[in-house]
Amino acid sequence: MSTPKAPAGHFTILYFAAASSYTRKDHDFLPAPLAFHMLFDVLDQKYPGLREKVLDSSAVTVNLEYVDMEEEVAKKDRADGSLALKEGDEVGIIPPVSSG
Amino acid sequence: MPAAEPDETLEAQKARLEEQIRAKERQLQTLKANLLNLDQGIRNGSHAADEYKRYGRQLIMPTMGLQGQLRLKQAKVLVVGVGGLGCPAATYLAGAGVGTLGLMDGDVVELSNLHRQIAHSTDRVGMSKADSAYKSLRALLSYQCLSRLNPLVEYNLHKFHVSPENALAIFNSYDLILDCTDHPTSRYLISDACVLTGKTLVSASALKTEGQLIVLNDPPRPPGDLSGGPCYRCIFPKPPPAESVLSCGEGGILGPVVGTMGVLQALEAIKLLSRPRAEATPESMGNGTSDEPPKASMLMFSAYNNPQFRTARLRSRRSNCAVCSSTPSITKASLDSGSLDYVAFCGVAIPVNILPHSLRLSPTEFAILPNAARGTLIDVRDETQFAICAVPESVNVPWTGNAASWLAHAEEAGVLDDEDSACKYIVCRFGNDSQLAAKAIIDRSGGTTEKVKDIKGGFQSWREEVDPQWPDY
Repeated sequence: MSTPKAPAGHFTILYFAAASSYTRKDHDFLPAPLAFHMLFDVLDQKYPGLREKVLDSSAVTVNLEYVDMEEEVAKKDRADGSLALKEGDEVGIIPPVSSG
Repeated sequence: MPAAEPDETLEAQKARLEEQIRAKERQLQTLKANLLNLDQGIRNGSHAADEYKRYGRQLIMPTMGLQGQLRLKQAKVLVVGVGGLGCPAATYLAGAGVGTLGLMDGDVVELSNLHRQIAHSTDRVGMSKADSAYKSLRALLSYQCLSRLNPLVEYNLHKFHVSPENALAIFNSYDLILDCTDHPTSRYLISDACVLTGKTLVSASALKTEGQLIVLNDPPRPPGDLSGGPCYRCIFPKPPPAESVLSCGEGGILGPVVGTMGVLQALEAIKLLSRPRAEATPESMGNGTSDEPPKASMLMFSAYNNPQFRTARLRSRRSNCAVCSSTPSITKASLDSGSLDYVAFCGVAIPVNILPHSLRLSPTEFAILPNAARGTLIDVRDETQFAICAVPESVNVPWTGNAASWLAHAEEAGVLDDEDSACKYIVCRFGNDSQLAAKAIIDRSGGTTEKVKDIKGGFQSWREEVDPQWPDY
């Protein structure tokens, strides 16, 4: 199935592989804007245990570009600040698939 | 000199002779061209006449050409893991005319492999996968080149698993490595060994209906050189928790999904091997040729999503990477000495054992209970498995991975209503999730209830002890 467009004031989050198995969904729409470094907190609240089981070992993309969560968390108190997720953005949670 | 025809004029004789000379000249030109081709062939490692025919369809592609084909012929490729990914990858690489193909696998063919591992067959169940794939590939290409001595593709069979002790020595004798394995431990090990031996790595994976493909360490530069491509650790520095890693046996896999990923691996390998050596910048998977450090891309395949394919731009080398940075903790010496414990790094999924002995019973013990004492049997496998086979009158409440959410589902299903009266027996496929579910109910009661029990070893043991007819899926 195709992911519908996010409603106004929201961004799309796509769940791949283990993230999709854990949430039992392939996407969600979350309210924008959201500071990127808050993303894991929001998701772990929505799906308890997701951070430890999935998020901490996943790659994260924003509009198909890799964003490093640790680097963004380190930036949050600095003048340049961390990335903000805005309306219409597409975030991907990409856990490593190791099977084959 | 041919005799003149009786009534031929001198003019006509002259014209005929001139035509004969032109014909001889054309013939001479053809012969010289053939000689030149042969000379070139000899210089290029004798590309025999029937090889032009065999590879003609790919040879005429501008991206391949004769030079590309000859580069393939000189290339040595190692396929690590000859399963769902390795079978199609190795088949296309052999077909394309890679000079040397290494097949590395310590496993034997099993019946449950055959729906996807297309180089194996029913009559080879129990045979080494490297041997089985070799037989298939030889049959595909049972053809001797012009010398009638050397087969077109030379095969090296490595009938064991990749390990820290053997990886460097084996990788050293190849130009390109394909990771077709199935576990985080081998994924990290193969990537580390590729960085340390300076080899580019084409890594693919698949589970359920999804696959991933990345070309790593491209170009392969020494650790600390930021103009090299990132490694697996740059992308995934932290392994997933061991208990959340699913094998194809546990999570399932569709044949064409893993097949697609294996075919794409062969494609990336062909692109990498046939490109001119001078092209130091990675052109595979659309990476640019700018001055920026090269970034890897990941192709993600989701068979049931739309779009099915997505490409994400990943990152360049990590400045603090454990293996490809200027301050690596993983070196040739540490790999050789065996001091690196990949199993410890990735963790081991220990079988769940969280219930007291009194709250567990074997399938046999459950089977001999009188009907009246059987209470409620709660089957926590997922809906799909429950639909394949189930014990009559059992209730399906799939384990959700989380106690609170599972208890909510269990309440909805009404299986928690008679908390204190009837006993509840919990069963799953292997006997892990059933304990987690039983524990959830016990914790909910404040740890007091003795009326919740887990069936040890799940349906796997059920089949061994009680019902041999139970489907062995």
